[in-house]
Amino acid sequence: MTEKQAPARGAPESAPRERALQTELERIEKDSHAKAIAVALRDLETGTELHYHADRWFHAASTIKVPILLGVFAAIDRGDLLPHSRVHVRNRFLSVVENVPFRVESGRDANSAVHNAIGKMMRVDELAYHMITTSSNLATNLLLGVIGPESVNETLSALHLKEGIELKRGVEDELAYEKGISNMVTADGLLRILVRLAEGKAFSPALSRRMMDILHGQEFNQGIPARLPKGARVAHKTGEISTVAHDAGVVYLPKRKPYVLVVLTEWDPDVSGRSRTIATISHTIYEYLTQNPRDE
Amino acid sequence: MTVSTSFAANAAMNESPTFPLRVVDGLTLPPDYRKALRPGEEWKDANGYPRQLPRYFYEVPSWDSAMKVELASHFLLWEFIQVDVREAPPLRTFPRYVPCAITLLAVCLERFREAVGTMVHISANGGYRSPSHRFSKNATPHAWGTAANIYRIGDTYLDNRSAVERFSLIARQTLPGIWTRPYGTPTGYAEDHLHLDLGYVLSVPRDVKS
Repeated sequence: MTEKQAPARGAPESAPRERALQTELERIEKDSHAKAIAVALRDLETGTELHYHADRWFHAASTIKVPILLGVFAAIDRGDLLPHSRVHVRNRFLSVVENVPFRVESGRDANSAVHNAIGKMMRVDELAYHMITTSSNLATNLLLGVIGPESVNETLSALHLKEGIELKRGVEDELAYEKGISNMVTADGLLRILVRLAEGKAFSPALSRRMMDILHGQEFNQGIPARLPKGARVAHKTGEISTVAHDAGVVYLPKRKPYVLVVLTEWDPDVSGRSRTIATISHTIYEYLTQNPRDE
Repeated sequence: MTVSTSFAANAAMNESPTFPLRVVDGLTLPPDYRKALRPGEEWKDANGYPRQLPRYFYEVPSWDSAMKVELASHFLLWEFIQVDVREAPPLRTFPRYVPCAITLLAVCLERFREAVGTMVHISANGGYRSPSHRFSKNATPHAWGTAANIYRIGDTYLDNRSAVERFSLIARQTLPGIWTRPYGTPTGYAEDHLHLDLGYVLSVPRDVKS
């Protein structure tokens, strides 16, 4: 079954709706002028799934911080770290290419809290919060420096979540980027992690909740949440570099179980409309899941 | 020096009535501390030369006490013992143990502060750290309590060649015999702080019996 033919899985009578959704996603992709779009969906209320190019690999950008968050909480679960363990805030990291030192540019982080703490210490839970909610690259590399990429990968393997996630390095390792060494994800890979979190099955319900709380603090809301109704709450992580724009999250609506949605997009650097495209896809999925087929 | 009531009471039992921290022989500490501190053991430096680790330590009973004990007019003890999750677990909780030579470092930094005329900030993991700290691959004066990594002086962050070399020169002019790490990125150099140290100084308090 090819990706574009992969239908939403649901009741047999919904097949026409699935085909309509498929067609709509193809139309959005064509109109957007994106180089590629992938969508993965699992509705925890109905079991409906959608996999649209969902095993295509994309540069992860900051969505790789979701697996790293999982790795941090694995260390907490093992007792290697405590949420209040302290980490030295230092802006010096070693590239995976020949251990060449590099720094994280302060201008790339949306808030200055972590950069302002250089020389001092911050708690693991503070760094995790900044890593997700404002996508702090400095916080990300600090946490990865403590636990190590290999530890994150071991965690993913142990949880059977490794497929679709390739974590090779920290962020802003430009030398590695130039050598083609990048963190990569598929929509299905991120979907599996978020489903595990949403179901409260990552280590324990309590730790899953803590990770979801952090994801709920996301401050960049131009993607999945942008065109959802006011009552919707989204725990999510965005990711954007010059050639990709992503959003991956769990959507909570009143009086139903949440659904997990991952939208990955790839672009030529000078093409605009990225957030709008993700928001449109999110809105389309929302309507698909919430409209009663008999109302159509 | 401001001495709290509890310190004054402790001081009565100490060898030095003017200093509020108890001196302990590292060889008498519980096994998990001895394993982390390795008192009196030899440890090779990056060049393969064996160095003898400190045996005598000041016992720091609490963070509150570390916040109160002045090692010099402008340096409190806590500034020298900030370590992160990379330090050996027993040494991240109190009581903590810091080599007695830490007081010599504090006096040097006080003199350095006078020379630069503003506040001198020691980084986390940049004062005393044990030989079991994950940063401690070879013998380093940090494990003797005689080294400091300074990341900021006044409003100047020491994250560039100009700043590091300027204050390194002041340190060497002010503190005879001080060693500063050259600016640069390879191992043995520093690019985001000024490392200065007194070498592998062992301090044996006068009233120690053995």
